[in-house]
Amino acid sequence: MEHYLVAMGVTAGIYAMMALGMNVIWGKAGLINLGLVGFFAVGAYTSGLLTLRLGWPIPLGIAAGTLVASLVGVLVAMITVRLRGDYLAIVTLGFAETMRIVMSNELWIANGTDGLSGIPGPFRQALGPHLFNLQFLGIVTAATVILFFLVERLVNSPFGRVLRGIRDDEQVVQVAGKNVVTFKIKAFAFGTAALGLAGALYGHFTSFIAPDLFAPLLTLYVKLSLLAGGLGNSIGAVVGAVLVVFFLESTRFIIPLVPGISAVQGAALRELLIAVALLVVLRFYARGLVPESIPQPPLPTAPPEAAVAIERVR
Amino acid sequence: MEVLQLIVNGLMAGTILAVPAIGLTAIFAVLRFTNFALASHMTIGAFAGFVANVTFGLPAVAALGFAFVIAGLVGVLSDEFVLKPFRRAGFITTAIGSIALTIALENIVRFIFGNQLRGYDLPILRDWNIHGIRVSPQQVENFVVAVIVMAALFAFLSFTRVGKSMRAVADNPMLAAIKGINANVVARLVSFVAMGLAGLGGMLIGLDTTIDPLIGFKTILQIFAAAVVGGLGSIPGAVVGALVVGVGEELSLLVLTPAYRTAVGFIAILVVLTFRPRGILGQRAY
Amino acid sequence: MRKTTRRTILKTAAAAATVAALPINANAQSGEPIRIGILTPLTGAGGNDGPRMLKAMTAVFDEVNKQGGVLGRRIETVVEDDQTNPEAAVRAARKLIEVNKVPMILGTWASAVTAAVAPVCWESKTFLMTVSGADSITLLPHQGFLIRTQPTSKLQATAHGEFMLSQGAKRVGIIGIQAPFALPNKEHLENTLKPKGAEVVSHVIYEKDKPTYRSEIDQMMRGKPDYIYTNGYAPDTVVLLRDLYRAGIDMPKFAQSYAVPQATLDTIPPEVSTKVYTGQPSADIESPAYKLAADRTGDKEPDGYVSQATDWASMAVLTIAKAKEASGVAMKDNVRKICQGSGQKVYSAVEGLKVLAEGKEINYEGASGPCDFTDIGDILGCRFRYMHVVKGKLEFLKLV
Repeated sequence: MEHYLVAMGVTAGIYAMMALGMNVIWGKAGLINLGLVGFFAVGAYTSGLLTLRLGWPIPLGIAAGTLVASLVGVLVAMITVRLRGDYLAIVTLGFAETMRIVMSNELWIANGTDGLSGIPGPFRQALGPHLFNLQFLGIVTAATVILFFLVERLVNSPFGRVLRGIRDDEQVVQVAGKNVVTFKIKAFAFGTAALGLAGALYGHFTSFIAPDLFAPLLTLYVKLSLLAGGLGNSIGAVVGAVLVVFFLESTRFIIPLVPGISAVQGAALRELLIAVALLVVLRFYARGLVPESIPQPPLPTAPPEAAVAIERVR
Repeated sequence: MEVLQLIVNGLMAGTILAVPAIGLTAIFAVLRFTNFALASHMTIGAFAGFVANVTFGLPAVAALGFAFVIAGLVGVLSDEFVLKPFRRAGFITTAIGSIALTIALENIVRFIFGNQLRGYDLPILRDWNIHGIRVSPQQVENFVVAVIVMAALFAFLSFTRVGKSMRAVADNPMLAAIKGINANVVARLVSFVAMGLAGLGGMLIGLDTTIDPLIGFKTILQIFAAAVVGGLGSIPGAVVGALVVGVGEELSLLVLTPAYRTAVGFIAILVVLTFRPRGILGQRAY
Repeated sequence: MRKTTRRTILKTAAAAATVAALPINANAQSGEPIRIGILTPLTGAGGNDGPRMLKAMTAVFDEVNKQGGVLGRRIETVVEDDQTNPEAAVRAARKLIEVNKVPMILGTWASAVTAAVAPVCWESKTFLMTVSGADSITLLPHQGFLIRTQPTSKLQATAHGEFMLSQGAKRVGIIGIQAPFALPNKEHLENTLKPKGAEVVSHVIYEKDKPTYRSEIDQMMRGKPDYIYTNGYAPDTVVLLRDLYRAGIDMPKFAQSYAVPQATLDTIPPEVSTKVYTGQPSADIESPAYKLAADRTGDKEPDGYVSQATDWASMAVLTIAKAKEASGVAMKDNVRKICQGSGQKVYSAVEGLKVLAEGKEINYEGASGPCDFTDIGDILGCRFRYMHVVKGKLEFLKLV
């Protein structure tokens, strides 16, 4: 059991890093990026290919994965800079799907749908599976903590305040003489770097990545993590990630207790339970289990004046 | 000739997308959020049609009506009890909540019907060959159904009192409230019509393919894309968007392998949105 | 063939009667049950195939349990859903391995899922049996902890090519789903057809989940084929067959047996499935294992997945009996001792257990083939069973 918990801890850590990254783009800057698995994939593939094919050391591969994901993030941000809301959502979602399709079809890049196997992990052979997982839990926890403080510093800086301003009312920020475009691109650069880092770590943890891994399902889990935890705040992102992994996994143990259902019904019931649990959390903690600490007017209905007033109070 | 055939194929694929896309855009117009639960309502419609057609032995048109009504009713209930409370928390929370809702509903269908593929008990017809261009009678039927639905909806919004009040709510909720239009009634009505259309669309797709719990999930991205390209909130936009997505994907086959279809579709979306960041027909409810 | 079948059925019936008459004997199983992990897709793209494989495996284990289990212990299955998603599947596999301590996992379907789960398995010395078709699967450094009952793409495509030649195919058009086996299949088909004066005239790879494949079909037809080789799964193959019928293309079509099982054929109008031929790996004609699988599952013509799942469950039971322990290492070391070699041929787990109890060597001959494996876990060879769809029903055509 404890080995299982360790492995799930690593999963929760990876989710938490993605949620933290998303929190900068979505929670703070208000940009809806539905393509987060795309950036996760860029990080995973970059680091996987460099360490596997070119023999780069793992830390260097991870750094490269983070950097390349961030660069791609900047590129996507530059292309989509005029888009907001659902329009941005569909384009970023399209980016992730296009990534998946390209990686499936272009066999020369990374074996197409076969995927990349045998991605090295630090001391995988020497430690054996259990110690390796424990070590990786340490790595992921450390990475999450560092990321956590980086995000915190960022959002509490003047930069973070401008991002929140963009989220709440773009025009006001523009009037205040800030270059909204640059700020949006920077938010994307930082957030996608975190996604790339999470992807790279995931690849080195499981040793296998394939286009099928980067299906929209993962995006959904992370989005739900962030909402359930509390959009726009770092503790919420981590809490939400742990909560989602808890829901995903604990339901496995509940289903066998239900008598008289078939295996398919059990599987359906499990997914139903996960969805309902998340709906209940969202319903009763509309701003997440750990709401963002700064008072905020509700996003869509708030007249711009209120946002300005709050900006001024701050 | 080849291009013409591709365009015909694309138009027919697009028409099927148009029906649920109208539903998506109508909800956006009135309730101001993207309701991804449309996917599971398509599945529910496909299965309701299956029950009507195979279990009760009803003909196709009656089954389509049944699909519309059942999906519409589930739409009203799920909006009332699940999504409505979310709307106060903002449109993002509501949209993401609607994804969780769609997973829940899809799995209720899976729980009841299982995963095995099903099919309607309806005959299959050969294509007509019109001067070398193949046209499927079934898809022409779908086309006719879609056009009738769009015309009916358009007439409803333009000429009836309820329809006008829906437009009023879409245009300016506050003003509508002052004028005494009950926003709750309008919300229920739009949920019924939109999810009914989703159910209808689900059954139309099921007629061409197979029925299983994933039927809505497989097409929701394309439908979302169609509504966005056309301009969220615009009903004619949803139709135009669906046709652009349908024809765009088909024409991509001229230059790339079919395995890149979806990717080309997304690139087309990007191109459209680069020139018109709010979709082809902007954001108008009618 | 008939003689063997009847004898086996009689034997089974007799054994069942004995158990029924002596309930105390059946309950005499002692000790902890042996837990076996099953990881099939129950939701997602594989959701149509997973339940069928699960049913076939459970049927074998039930039969064994009724006869007193193995090593005096009951077999208990722990079922998890792989969600047809590698990330979810890895989490499920870790739960099976670390919490339920299963010595083996049976049933992964999608190649990406198998490739993702395999390292978790071999690192924790857990045995894995799969149906995934990608050639790369058995090339993984799995140290023997993996076997695959699905023939390699070379074995399959060569046999399918020969079948189409025997049907008089001269110009074959390939239309298949985007999958790891797509390209190798084309190469092997070409290599088989060329020397016999036939050729592959077009090759179209399509995306899954599309509501229509009209344009893809037009593209394939541009090569003017006289025989169509489809290579996909049930949901997309149904769409393909419908569109082929609509387009008025009535030439013979080949499909994998799992893409058009009888249950799926029943959902489409019979005229759509005329001239559809299916192929699946099979054992010798005299092997009653296939018939037994049909009886157990109540499926008149079990497809390739059902017969392979039957074989996993049977091999699992027999290997445990042979090794006298249920561990992943014992599975790896002993699985080839019960399914290949010169031992007495057996066709079901129950029959094999009896022969093993007599102290004899056995050689399991399965429903999907002789189940003889290479060092890397691929099947050595097998026969192929071909069926023909007549008025919407699968009919046996020939065994090659």
